[in-house]
Amino acid sequence: MNPSVKNPIANGPGSSDFEETLRLLAHLPAPEGLEERVEAGLRAAPRNARILRWPVALRAENAWVRAAAAAAIVAVVAGGGWGVYLGVQTVQPARVIAVPQHIAAPGGGFSNAGAMRTPQTLNGPIAAPPAVAKPAAVAPPASTPAVKPVAKPVTTPAAQSSQKPLHPAKPTSAKKIAEPATLPAVAPTAVIPAK
Amino acid sequence: MSAGEAVFSGWMEIADKTVRDGARRHAEEDALAALVSQYAATLYRVAYSVLRNSADAEDAVQEAFLRVLRHRDTLSEVRDQRVWLIRIVWNIVLDRKRRSKTRPETDDVSELARVLPAGGLSADERAAAAEHHAHVLACVEQLPDKERQVMMLSAFEELTSVEIAAVVGITESSVRSRLFRARNLMAELLNHARSLR
Repeated sequence: MNPSVKNPIANGPGSSDFEETLRLLAHLPAPEGLEERVEAGLRAAPRNARILRWPVALRAENAWVRAAAAAAIVAVVAGGGWGVYLGVQTVQPARVIAVPQHIAAPGGGFSNAGAMRTPQTLNGPIAAPPAVAKPAAVAPPASTPAVKPVAKPVTTPAAQSSQKPLHPAKPTSAKKIAEPATLPAVAPTAVIPAK
Repeated sequence: MSAGEAVFSGWMEIADKTVRDGARRHAEEDALAALVSQYAATLYRVAYSVLRNSADAEDAVQEAFLRVLRHRDTLSEVRDQRVWLIRIVWNIVLDRKRRSKTRPETDDVSELARVLPAGGLSADERAAAAEHHAHVLACVEQLPDKERQVMMLSAFEELTSVEIAAVVGITESSVRSRLFRARNLMAELLNHARSLR
């Protein structure tokens, strides 16, 4: 035996009294008849207890029985799976996906991030302010008309509202043209005093 | 080859196989019986050093050989059968001790006095020696598991440090370091006990 691997406690220089106790225990004689009892126990032990015997019908000579049993198991499992498959209604995915219409930003900037465009609601009729009497229309002397006044049609609020377009934000071209034509015609008549 | 010859050769093969199986079984039984007669006492002592009960130690030996019987097919592949058997019984006794959760019968001084050799001592001396051994074994029980296992296995002279390492499943240097710590701890425990007296 290699001395370097000898038992360090049995031959070590520092073995003390407590190691003597352990050594006494380690050298206890075995009880009488230990080997015979162990061998008898081994003989009595079942040799093939861990090997399960096939039933007679399932032994190797009757392979067709095994095949039939395997086929039956496969059929039962497959049938059960098919039944489950039929019983479960799968949710069909939508074929059409509603996507909001893309509205490009007016300046070509950022997009609207999917916000739906709401149509501009129509404005109702706007009540016109009460008509203020203009000084030109107050007292033109009837005797000496220097200039034949251009008769401005007196408009009532009702008439104004009827003439006002439905979309005041977008004045019609007719109004744009008509107003410059009428106002200068009235103003000189109001300013020039009668002689 | 005719059908009759084929059937005959088939029967011959079955007969040869049966003979071979029987011979192999006989060889295994002989090998197992040789193992029992050679190592049963060693395994008993290893088991007793942990369990400290004669009947429990014998049961552990029986269980170890039953495990060998179950794995007798691999018996020829075992390199060192002695260490292999000691490792089997070591695991069995550690498992039993862990499951029982009871103290070993180290406090039973009379049992220890009966088991330990008298060596020509008088009755009083035997009683005193038994009390001393019981006290030492109680101190051994206070050691950590790793150190205690190495110390108990190292008490067996037939086991080298390499074999102890193989049984416990550690390296030889670990065996030595654990044994060193165990000795120091045991010296501290015994000195502390002496100072209390």
